[in-house]
Amino acid sequence: MLKKGMDRRSQNMVEEIKSDYKASADLGLKRCMQCGLCTSNCPAAKHSNYDPREMVKMVLDDDQEIKENPDIWNCFYCYTCQSNCPVNNSACQVNQILRETILLEGGNNERIVEFLSYGYSYMDFGVGAIPSDFFDALVKDFGDHYIQLKINLEDIREELGLVDYNLKGESLDEIRNILIESGFKKRLETFQKQGES
Amino acid sequence: MSTNSKTLQITPDADNKGQKTRDYKNKAKKSTKTAGEKVGVFICRCGGNISDKVDIEKLKSSINADFVEDYENLCSLNCRRHIREEVIDQNLDRVVIAACSPLTHLRTFQNYADPLNPYMVEMVNIREQCSWVHSDMEKATPKAIGLTQAGVEKVKKARPLKKIISRTEKSAAIFGGGISGITAALSLANQGLKVTIIEKNPTIGGNMVKIGKVFSPEKLAEECSLCILNPIINDVVNHKNIHIMTKTHLLRAGRRSSYFNLILEKDTSFVHEDRCIACGNCVDVCPVEVPDEWNQKMTMRKAIYKPFSQAVPDVYTIDVENCIKCGKCQKECNMNAIDFSLKSEVISLKAGSVIIATGHESFDLTKRPEYGYERFDDVISQMDLARILGVNGPTLGKLQKISDGKVPKRVVMIQCTGSRDEKTDGKRYCSKVCCMVALKHASIIREKFPETEVVICYTDLRTPGMYENYLRYVQDKGIQLIRGRPGEVSRRNGQLVVRVEDTLQRKPLEIETDMVVLSEAIEPSQGTMDLAKKLNVGLSQDLFIKEKHSKIKPANTDVERIFVCGTAQGPKDITDSVSQANAAAAKVSEQIKCGTEAEPPVAIIKTSRCSHCGKCREICGFKAVYQDEEFMSIDPMACRGCGACAGVCPEDAIEIKGLNDQELYAQIEGLLADKKEGEVRILTFLDNVGYTAADTIGNNRLTYPEAIRIIKIPSINRIMPEHIMFAFNHGADGILMAEYPDECMLEAHKAKIKELSEFVASKGIPADRLRFYKAYAPHYRGLAKQFEDFYKDLSAVEATK
Amino acid sequence: MKNIPDKNILLFKSCMVNVEYPGVESSTKYIFDKLGIEYAIDPKQSCCTGLGFYYDLFDQVSTSALAVRNIALARKSGHENIVTLCSTCYAILKKSINLLNSNEKARDEINGILERAGLSDMKYNEGDLSSENNVFHMVEILYSKVDEIAPLIKKDFSDIRIASHHACHYCKVYPDHAITGARNPMILDEMAKAFGGNVVDWYDFKKATCGAGFSQRFANRDLSVSATADKLLALEGEADMLLHMCPNCQMQLDRYQPVVEKEIGRKLNLVHLSVAQMAALGMGADPYKVLGIQTHSVPVEGLLKKIKDI
Repeated sequence: MLKKGMDRRSQNMVEEIKSDYKASADLGLKRCMQCGLCTSNCPAAKHSNYDPREMVKMVLDDDQEIKENPDIWNCFYCYTCQSNCPVNNSACQVNQILRETILLEGGNNERIVEFLSYGYSYMDFGVGAIPSDFFDALVKDFGDHYIQLKINLEDIREELGLVDYNLKGESLDEIRNILIESGFKKRLETFQKQGES
Repeated sequence: MSTNSKTLQITPDADNKGQKTRDYKNKAKKSTKTAGEKVGVFICRCGGNISDKVDIEKLKSSINADFVEDYENLCSLNCRRHIREEVIDQNLDRVVIAACSPLTHLRTFQNYADPLNPYMVEMVNIREQCSWVHSDMEKATPKAIGLTQAGVEKVKKARPLKKIISRTEKSAAIFGGGISGITAALSLANQGLKVTIIEKNPTIGGNMVKIGKVFSPEKLAEECSLCILNPIINDVVNHKNIHIMTKTHLLRAGRRSSYFNLILEKDTSFVHEDRCIACGNCVDVCPVEVPDEWNQKMTMRKAIYKPFSQAVPDVYTIDVENCIKCGKCQKECNMNAIDFSLKSEVISLKAGSVIIATGHESFDLTKRPEYGYERFDDVISQMDLARILGVNGPTLGKLQKISDGKVPKRVVMIQCTGSRDEKTDGKRYCSKVCCMVALKHASIIREKFPETEVVICYTDLRTPGMYENYLRYVQDKGIQLIRGRPGEVSRRNGQLVVRVEDTLQRKPLEIETDMVVLSEAIEPSQGTMDLAKKLNVGLSQDLFIKEKHSKIKPANTDVERIFVCGTAQGPKDITDSVSQANAAAAKVSEQIKCGTEAEPPVAIIKTSRCSHCGKCREICGFKAVYQDEEFMSIDPMACRGCGACAGVCPEDAIEIKGLNDQELYAQIEGLLADKKEGEVRILTFLDNVGYTAADTIGNNRLTYPEAIRIIKIPSINRIMPEHIMFAFNHGADGILMAEYPDECMLEAHKAKIKELSEFVASKGIPADRLRFYKAYAPHYRGLAKQFEDFYKDLSAVEATK
Repeated sequence: MKNIPDKNILLFKSCMVNVEYPGVESSTKYIFDKLGIEYAIDPKQSCCTGLGFYYDLFDQVSTSALAVRNIALARKSGHENIVTLCSTCYAILKKSINLLNSNEKARDEINGILERAGLSDMKYNEGDLSSENNVFHMVEILYSKVDEIAPLIKKDFSDIRIASHHACHYCKVYPDHAITGARNPMILDEMAKAFGGNVVDWYDFKKATCGAGFSQRFANRDLSVSATADKLLALEGEADMLLHMCPNCQMQLDRYQPVVEKEIGRKLNLVHLSVAQMAALGMGADPYKVLGIQTHSVPVEGLLKKIKDI
């Protein structure tokens, strides 16, 4: 779409992204020359309509429509784009920050609620786990073998001489306190509430 | 200034004789030798410009000097006579001109005061710094008196100096025998200089001989590079003033005041060059085969070889590293030219000037393995393609795949391989020639092999100036341009695949192709970096040879008498290389033909006190300090007299001529002598740029407080803590130092600010009494505001007392 | 090569290793023990949060605050060299340390959290650890000891065509830290070669992602499997074994290979092992009691039969 005229370009989104803790200190976002190297190697661009170069362009244009774009949710976070970007930009980092911003603004909630169980599990055990909402789907793909593995896991681990990995007692309290103070717990609850409403 | 006195040292001006009239002769001798103290003050009314704001009569009557007179227009030719007559008649030893800015007229008045030594003339700026910036006579007159009297005190401490003429040896050494080096060599040799070309390879000609054809945007054609180059090479070979040394490199270099002592090593080739008649019989019997650099290692050559048929010198050479010394060639040689006992030689060469023309290297394409160079046979570089398309190349000019010898149906070129790339090993700059090189090869392919498609994947096509015409010409031949930087080259079912996004169509593509050509970046060569280190020449951030100033001194390096041209200095094409080579030659010639004249305000090392600690050499960004045999020396041509060296010298062995300590103290004292009770006085030290800005304040008739008193200095590096202390002790309320530091002296500048600030703090002086400001010539309003603000702040403090 | 420690090591537990390929941990321990590498496993160590971070669930501050706690544990026990089994743990820890060392505002914010959580003694001071000199991947330790491991290899891998899958979060997040870099990663290939394997240096999509894509595996399954298939199909008939260094990648390629096989209707005959499992196997470890091949989706037994003792 041709824009008729152009307002004085604001770079609010760029500045927000650059100052986000998830961004590298030397992120070359503003230096992007739209060469498309990121897209040429991008697995999501190969198999879907996602175009990291275009996403960066829209961010540079402060075009808020990028937040409505469903394709940005296809990024694999594989960092291939970052590893060879000639201007030290990272479409991958930009995408992460963009997605987090959208979620915090209450958008695309359905994309995060399915993963909340990871957060709760972390608060309960101090370790990550496969989000329970998807367990059935995995079993469907992986077959009965996978259920057997899960059932026998403790035995197998014992046979391998490995100790229990779940955190306990004081350690678990520490983890919980950190996540309460960091606002993570509240964040989980907010996402959940948004999902329920 | 007398032009007949050409000497390499600074000596007191004792021999200004020969050119003067008899009347002046005695005077001249007297004034310079005895340096008496009789001071004459000449005041200019400047047609009202000064006299409207300064009460000239009061000024005249207030000045304490041996002679004081005022004139309407002191710079007029008429006054030349007046000044000269008074100097003679009044037997004046020193002269103060109270008039306008020394930046405008110092030279004029130094000339008018002849036969006095020019450095016995002091100018006091009562126009730009007084009558033009102060609103009324009550303010301007006392200041004019103060300024002029300070000038009188200062000039009493002046010492006669003499201009320094430097002479450069009439010879030049040129490192690198490519197109840049031989162009510079020919120019200098034609002007009568003895030139030595030092080339590390067995032949001269550089990269240009390899590339087959060169683009010509004027003719919209490709021209044979060897055909252009060959006559030039022949001229070089036959020139009586040019000596070519191949297989030779620099071991070390010594710098002297007018020449360099170069210690070179000529590697042996086991061949007596004077005996070899280049029959080539030796080659047939040599059993050793190695990849041939001439053909980008796509073919093989023997251990004894001639790099290419037109190679110069026209002799065979042995690749010592690969030779197995079997002796077969020796037996075959009828001329007895081969001798395995030949050793490398160490040769000493004296050269007045040095030109670095060592060229570039190509980016190592294995550093971008995603493009498959060396992994896939048919991924090649533009230089490889240049050889393939060259009629004297491995395929005699036929475009064919290395893998199977077939003509490719499609060739994809990838631009910016290694260029415009911030990643590790990448080059941040644009290599400048690759767009044109790709177009040139595309043009040749479309012309000679019309069945072959050419696709160029680019980020930006850079064909500035007339080169745009060439782009259009090649586009008309039918090429495909894809705007996108490929991510990788893969192989699928035996076919190469280029993955790239067509960014204009927003489409990730997989282009199947038979051949991929990578447009390799130009990068600084290791040889250039080694040479720079040995010659103490500075490198740019990107590790090319750094120019002294990219705008106004493009062929100079940061070392006097060492110049640079061609791709050793940065990516450029043949046209630009030749231009810069001629510029470098012109600069060498200029120094030799004219000598170089330096202003005397330079640093001098008192050898007897020097302990050779080298601190002066470390701090001097102008690289004026060098070690000559065992002595530290200062090249007056390079020295700016900034004083940084004197500031760091632990032995107090360095003196700055032109603004000696006595003069500085006298001026400081003089400018504070008339300070009254309750008055605020700010001493302002300005370098040339700061002083220009201050003049401009006057030119624009802005006003500032008369408390501001200006001292012109070469740089704030000249100012030592003791000067600051002296000024505060003599009544200065504040000191402002403004400078536009030279880029090469930025660190020293910062260190000086730190040193002086810490000193002031250590003496318990409030920190804001010493201020620093970065001066800009066009931003004179900024300086005026500094004056105002400083005055306001100090006045507020004064008021609370 | 960078300086790689062989003592004061905290072997950092990985959530994916714990529940999917626990044999990677036991194999690593097996090798470390044989080589006399001094290491500890800390039951108090919590997960890196990496999966949650890349599900867009964890914020940087929470992730880094938990990293600070783990760093404090490591420092307290004198094991300040953190060695991860998973490439995401590796990148996540490096990122946190870089942020803590270079961003004062973030550091204060994170230390404030620890203080409010009653963990003032765990606060992070600038420079406590260096992301380059204190965080390593298990593969780097093995690589630094390859000359000691190679003579201990008692199995003949020479008939096995081995390709490598270098984890993205090891190579591409901090390419300058990665031994052999991101452009042409060879660390696994070089090790497989040293262990006597017949190495397939390059294949199409060698550098491409495994396809897991964190949330993609779950929320965008087809997209995820397409990327996985790119790699598997490029290796069809070219290799017998794919060598891994990250449990998440191993899970993606091992568990989804049967899925891809079902879709294309033919077998791909590619077995997946971690480089730690391969080395341990070579050194004589038991496939079930150390390598834990019973947790794999693609059976390893067929391959084991082909590998003879030297």
